[in-house]
Amino acid sequence: MQFKKQVIESNPIEGITTLSMPTGIKDVITFGGSFLGGGLYSPKSNKKIAALTTSMLDKGTESKSKYEISDLLESVGAEINFSCTPHHIQFTGFCLKENLETVIRLLGEQLRTPAFLTEELEILKTRIKGRLEQSKEDTKKQALIGFLRSLYPENHPNHRTTTEEAIEQTENTHIADLKTFHKKYYRAGGFNFAAVGDIGPTKINDLLKSSFIGWGKKEIPSVDFGLCAHPPREKEKEIHISEKTSTDTYIGQAIGINRDHADYYALMIGIYILGGNFSARLMQTVRDSQGLTYGIGSALSGISFGSDGYWSTWGTFSPELLTKGKKATMKEISDWYYNGVTSDELEAKKTTITGAYQVGMDSTGGLVSRLLSNAERGRGIEYLDQYPNIITDISLDSVNRAIKQYIDPDKLTTVVAGSFE
Amino acid sequence: MSIENKKAFKDPVFIKESGGIEEYKFEQNGLTVLTLEDHSAPVVTFMVTYHVGSRNEAIGHTGSTHLLEHLMFKGSRNFNKEKGTAIWNELQNIGAQINATTWNDRTNYFEVVPSKHLERAIEIEADRMRFALLKDEDRKPEMTVVRNEFERGENSPFDVLDKNIWATAYQAHPYHHSTIGWRSDIENIPTHKLQEFYDTYYWPNNATVTIIGDFKKNEALKLIKKYFGEHKRSENDPPEMYTEEPKQEGPRRITVKRAGQTGVVGVGHKTPKGLHKDNYALQLLGKILTDGKTSRFNKNIIDKGLATSVFMYDFPFKDNGMFISYIFLTPDTNHQTVEDLVIDEYKSIINSGVTTEELRRAIAQTKAGVAFSRDGSYAVASALNEAIAIGDWTYYTTFMECIDIVSESKIQEAAEKYLIEDNSTTGWFVPKKVEATQDAV
Repeated sequence: MQFKKQVIESNPIEGITTLSMPTGIKDVITFGGSFLGGGLYSPKSNKKIAALTTSMLDKGTESKSKYEISDLLESVGAEINFSCTPHHIQFTGFCLKENLETVIRLLGEQLRTPAFLTEELEILKTRIKGRLEQSKEDTKKQALIGFLRSLYPENHPNHRTTTEEAIEQTENTHIADLKTFHKKYYRAGGFNFAAVGDIGPTKINDLLKSSFIGWGKKEIPSVDFGLCAHPPREKEKEIHISEKTSTDTYIGQAIGINRDHADYYALMIGIYILGGNFSARLMQTVRDSQGLTYGIGSALSGISFGSDGYWSTWGTFSPELLTKGKKATMKEISDWYYNGVTSDELEAKKTTITGAYQVGMDSTGGLVSRLLSNAERGRGIEYLDQYPNIITDISLDSVNRAIKQYIDPDKLTTVVAGSFE
Repeated sequence: MSIENKKAFKDPVFIKESGGIEEYKFEQNGLTVLTLEDHSAPVVTFMVTYHVGSRNEAIGHTGSTHLLEHLMFKGSRNFNKEKGTAIWNELQNIGAQINATTWNDRTNYFEVVPSKHLERAIEIEADRMRFALLKDEDRKPEMTVVRNEFERGENSPFDVLDKNIWATAYQAHPYHHSTIGWRSDIENIPTHKLQEFYDTYYWPNNATVTIIGDFKKNEALKLIKKYFGEHKRSENDPPEMYTEEPKQEGPRRITVKRAGQTGVVGVGHKTPKGLHKDNYALQLLGKILTDGKTSRFNKNIIDKGLATSVFMYDFPFKDNGMFISYIFLTPDTNHQTVEDLVIDEYKSIINSGVTTEELRRAIAQTKAGVAFSRDGSYAVASALNEAIAIGDWTYYTTFMECIDIVSESKIQEAAEKYLIEDNSTTGWFVPKKVEATQDAV
C-alpha cells in the first residue's frame, strides 16, 4: 500500500485541505478533521473556554435544536463527534455513503452557526463539574496532573490545571466568552479534512465547498511557546486518595526537545526498548518475571507542535508492592541508561514499529487518524510512505547517544496517587 | 506426530456459508474454522476461541479461566523464553497486535499481523493449544499480576457496583461471579487445578479458529491442517455446565458505600438466553432508552442536569443475561430521584410502548453499528468472537435481518415480560466523601 498513490489531496476552497482515500470497504465512510483553536488558545484567565465552546457545537444551531441535530444523525445511523485537544478543534464521524451529503451539510452548520443557548451551557456546566468531581478519585489522572505540574510552568502546553481550578473555571464561563472565542477561531485556514472508505474525492470536495464557502479565513496568532519546562518542583510526591486498591505511579522528566528535533526518532525508539510494549524491558522484568504490576510502560509525550516534551514511565502497583515496584522500575531505568540498548533490541523494535505501522492500516478509523495527524503536523503525504524507512535507518550509536543526552536518572520526578499503607 | 498420521489427517469439510463467512470442520479432531477474505489492507487477523469462560468455574476456582489465559503467554513446547522464542517477542517483533481476553462464555487468543506472517501466528496458537508449559514458578508471579488487574478494577465505583449487582441477581448460576474472580481464589488457586482446567477445555473439538483479512483461503486451510492437525480430539467431551438460575421471586437491592465523589445508580433486569428472539427487541429498547441525545434517558435525566452520563448494556450471553441501566449522578442528585425516573420510563414503555419514529431511529443506529463492525479484520473477528461464544456464529451475519423485523409491539411485549419489579436487581454506589491530600515525600 502506498499513500502517495492512494490519497488524493485537494483544496476545495482556500484554507481547507481534503485528503480522500478510497478503500475496499463497502458503503461506509469514516472522516475526521481539525483546525487550530484548541485549549491553548483559550484566554489565560480561563483555560476551559476552548473546550466548552467545542462541547456546545452539538447543543443546537441557529436553525436546528439539539434534538433536531441528533435526530438527523441518529435516523441515518451516522455520528459526528467534536473534541478539543491542546492545539486543535477536532471532529470525527462516520456515515453510510448514501447519507454523506446530509452529514457534511450538518457538520458545516454546527461549526459555523452554533446556537450558544444559555440554558444549554448551564446544563453542560453541571455535567462537566460532575465529571471533574468523579475524576478526583481517578488515581491515574490525578498522578499525571501532579507529575506535569511539577515539570511545567503555567501556560506551557504540557501544564495541567488542578481539578479544583478546572471546576472553578467551568463555573465562571459565560455564553459571551464562547461567542467571542468562536468568532475568533472558527474559520477556514489550516483546516484539514480526511475521509476514508467508499468515497470519491469529487463528491467530498463539492460538498465541502458548498458547506463552507464564505466561512471567512482566519489568521491564527501563534501561541507563545517560549515557555520551557522548569526544574522539577519536587523529587517525589504522594497524592492520597482514600480506599483505593491500586496506585498509579509516574516517573520521568522533561527532555527539552520536540518532535521535529533531529534526535527525536533515536530517543523515541530508545524509550520504546525500555517500555514501548509487552516485550520491552519493563514489562518483561517488572511484570513478567517479578509479578509486581499488571501494567507498566514508558513513552515520550507532549512533543508535538513545537512543545518541549517529557519522558515518563507509568505503572500501577498494589499499595503493599509499591516500594518494591518503584525500586524494580528504577533498576531497569538505571540499567538502560548506564549500559544502553543492544543492537538486537534495536533491530527487533524496528520491525515491531514498522510491522505495527502496517497493522494500523486495518481500519478506516486508523487510516483517518494517520492522515489527519500527519496533515496537522504540516507534513506531506509522502512522509507516510517514508516513515518505515526513517525507522529502519536509525543507528545504534544514535539511540544510545540520545538516551545519555536527554535522560538524567538523578533528576527524575516521581508522583504516586492512591492509598498508602 | 508420525508421517503416516500427517498423511491420514484429512482436509476440512465445508459446512456452510453466511454473510460471506465460510465454515469448515476438520472432522477427525473436531476443529471448526471460519474464514472471510478481505484484501483491502495487507493485514490478517487470526483468532482461536475456546468455548470456556467463567461460567465453567465453581467456588474455589473463580477467575481460573482468566488466570490460565495469562499463563498461556508464559510459554509452550516450541515457543518459550528458554528457547529464545517467547510468544510476545516472536509476535511483537513482527509488529503484530496480540492479546487474549476472557469472559463469561469464552476465551479468545488473537493476532493481527502483516499478511506475510500469518503462518507464525497459526504455528504459535497450535502449539499452545495442547503444549502450554503451565509451570508453578510462572503462576506465582503471574498471580500478583492478575491480582493487580483485580485491584485496578476495584478502584472504579462502576466496576464494584456492577460486580455486586450480578452477584445479587445471580445466586446459583456462575454468572454470579465476575470473570476476574474473587480475590482469595486468584491468590490461592493451585497450579494443578489450572492444569486440570487446561486439560479439560483446551482441545480442538472445543475451539473455533477464525481467519479474517488478507489471506488466501486454500493456503490458510493447509497451514491450519499442518499445525492443528497434530492434535487429537479430547477423549471425553468437555463437561456441560448445567446449573440454572432459579426463578427470581421479588426485587433485590444492593448498596456499596466507599470513599468517592459522586453516586451511581444501576437498575438491572434478567433477560433470556442470548439466542432467544426477545433479545433483538431488548437490544433496540436499549438504544431507544440511552443511545443518542434524543434517547429517553438523555432527555429525561441528562438534559435535566441530574447525571453526567448514562450507560446501559444487554450483552447476549450463552445463558440468561441482564438488561442494566447505569446512571452516573451529578454531585447534588439524589439516588432515589433517578431510580424513580428509570422505573417510570420502563413503566411508560410497558403501558404505552415506543413510537414508530423511535423504532426507526434505533434500527438505523443498529444498521450503522453493524456496518462498522466490518471495518477492519480485527473488528470483524472481535464481533464474530461474541457470536461464537453464545453458540451460533451466524448470529453475527443474520443479526440485522432479525433486527429489521422487530415491531413496536414486540418491544412493548419484551418490556412487559422482563422489565418487571420482581425480576429486578437495583444497586447504588454511595460515596463517602473524603478529600484528597498531597504530600511531598
